[in-house]
Amino acid sequence: MRVALLCVTVLLIHATPLRAAGDIGLGQYLAAECVSCHQPSGPRDADIPPIVGWPEDQFVAVLSAFGRKQRDGQVMQAVAARLSREEMAALAAYFGALTPQP
Amino acid sequence: MKTSRRDLIAGTGALLAASTLAAPALLGQARPRVVVVGGGPGGATAAKYLARDSQNAISVTLVEENETYQTCFHSNLYIGGFKRYDEIVHRYDRLASAYGIALVRSRATQIDRDRKEVVLTDGGRLPYDRLVLSPGIDLNYDSVPGWSQAAEELMPHGWKPGRQTQLIREKLDAVPDGGTIVMIAPPNPYRCPPGPYERASMFAHVLKRTGRDKARIIILDPKDSFSKQGLFMPDWERRYGAMIEWLGPKVHDGITSVDPKTGTVVTGFETYENCAFVNVIPAQMAGAIARDAGLAPAGGYCTIDPATMKSVVDPTIVVLGDACHAGDMPKSAFSANSQAKVAAMILRGELVGAQTFPARYLNTCWSLIDTDDAIKVGGRYEPRDGRISAVETFISQPGESAETRKQTQAENMAWYDAICADMFT
Ligand SMILES: Cc1cc2nc3c(=O)[nH]c(=O)nc-3n(C[C@H](O)[C@H](O)[C@H](O)COP(=O)(O)OP(=O)(O)OC[C@H]3O[C@@H](n4cnc5c(N)ncnc54)[C@H](O)[C@@H]3O)c2cc1C
Ligand code: HEC
Repeated sequence: MRVALLCVTVLLIHATPLRAAGDIGLGQYLAAECVSCHQPSGPRDADIPPIVGWPEDQFVAVLSAFGRKQRDGQVMQAVAARLSREEMAALAAYFGALTPQP
Repeated sequence: MKTSRRDLIAGTGALLAASTLAAPALLGQARPRVVVVGGGPGGATAAKYLARDSQNAISVTLVEENETYQTCFHSNLYIGGFKRYDEIVHRYDRLASAYGIALVRSRATQIDRDRKEVVLTDGGRLPYDRLVLSPGIDLNYDSVPGWSQAAEELMPHGWKPGRQTQLIREKLDAVPDGGTIVMIAPPNPYRCPPGPYERASMFAHVLKRTGRDKARIIILDPKDSFSKQGLFMPDWERRYGAMIEWLGPKVHDGITSVDPKTGTVVTGFETYENCAFVNVIPAQMAGAIARDAGLAPAGGYCTIDPATMKSVVDPTIVVLGDACHAGDMPKSAFSANSQAKVAAMILRGELVGAQTFPARYLNTCWSLIDTDDAIKVGGRYEPRDGRISAVETFISQPGESAETRKQTQAENMAWYDAICADMFT
């Protein structure tokens, strides 16, 4: 599933200039940073929880709460502090399209 | 030296053809070649991201001399009894089977920069269009008088993985109650700034747990201060009483010499005789392969362009991880992994026309002090004023709740699993 999705991404990258919000190419690059800590699978209450398959608006809301330091978590505050709205949307689109694994 | 896997991968079909068509091969050839030397956090990550995200449009060869990768990160947790040894050993098989990376188990002995070839121990040559070097560090065996490579069994460093890590654990286990451990800490810049102090914490934890409360640990430091000092020192006091003693250069007045046979350490201030165990962590420099290629003209480490991780000496070579000068970023597995992702993105842009984005880096270093008591320091980094500069930093607070410290350790464990999966699977 994941592999298939990445393949589609490659075609998209070459087919269209990606500038729109929710841009998956940008999301894929930014997401590489997240997977140093977040695994694609695992229980929801893991110490670093999986972040795939979320509704995009909810994902953006959580990231901006970290970014504005309204939600606690030193690491995530530093991660989110310099993400633009467009980058958050790109991440939400990227991770939102992945299926949670058991 | 031919890499047979390259042919295997050639059949990825229409998709591959489509992407190569759409992205004109910038070097005028079917599949640009990237050779990666070193299968640690920098090299393994770069190889995986190059192969995976280019859909094999780039031929990726990983040269690594060891069969498995044994992590220095969390080796202190092994020493402290928080991990089994097999939990810090990783295999390379998945990089080959899942992403089509050609694995070459050999030592690279030379970089022929004119011909753009990597020379292997058997004389074989691997041509490259771009080279990624992530060889880690070499130890400066001359940096502590009386110590040498021949003495690294008697006075181990444990700053490279494998047998050295196990020696540290064996020597620790043999320390009698009332015995003295001396740790000689390294000068900056070195691999894992909080590492020596996490290790001293693990020594104390094991000694205390096994009823050897009268043993003591003396850290002789060439530096006036050290990473997370304001967090380590109060916790040492609180948890281990007087067991750990840290002495800066103004107090010990310099290391005059060590004698590995008798277990003696002489400083300007005092002579420590019959030490139960001396842990010498010497000065460090970039791995030989990078220095010998002329990429560290000032000695020490390789200077890179902060936006691309490319050597300022040779733009066809990227230098990652411990071997490079990464500005404000510490030498850590996290940093090397983060740098590798930027480099892979930049190289895909150059070689197969993939979209590129501004470089951004991240790091966090967790350190375990005692059971359920960990601290962290980290930051976000961007190219600025010609160097990789911190743009956002954080650090654990003194006097945090036990709950927070426990949560920090839980994060540390989860991070290890995630980053190892990111690098090797
Ligand atoms: C005690 C200790 C604790 C640590 N704790 C942490 C931690 O908690 N978190 C953290 O992020 N980091 C930690 N680190 C630091 C981390 O281990 C290093 O920063 C990291 O390994 C650097 O990765 P690298 O890719 O630059 O080099 P390395 O990991 O050293 O990998 C280099 C690889 O290249 C191979 N190689 C070298 N030369 C050649 C050649 N000529 N030919 C073929 N192969 C070659 C080597 O065999 C090796 O596998 C710790 C380090 C120590 C010592
Ligand atoms: C250094 C490790 C680390 C990195 C890198 C990291 N995170 Fe996190 N993340 C955490 C931790 C730890 C938590 C739990 C924080 C908490 O709930 O207090 C978390 C929580 C989250 C949550 C909330 C999850 C939930 O179930 O409530 C989201 C969403 C998230 N991260 C997204 C991201 C994204 C997107 C990135 C990359 C841009 C990222 N993270 C990078 C460590 C990390």
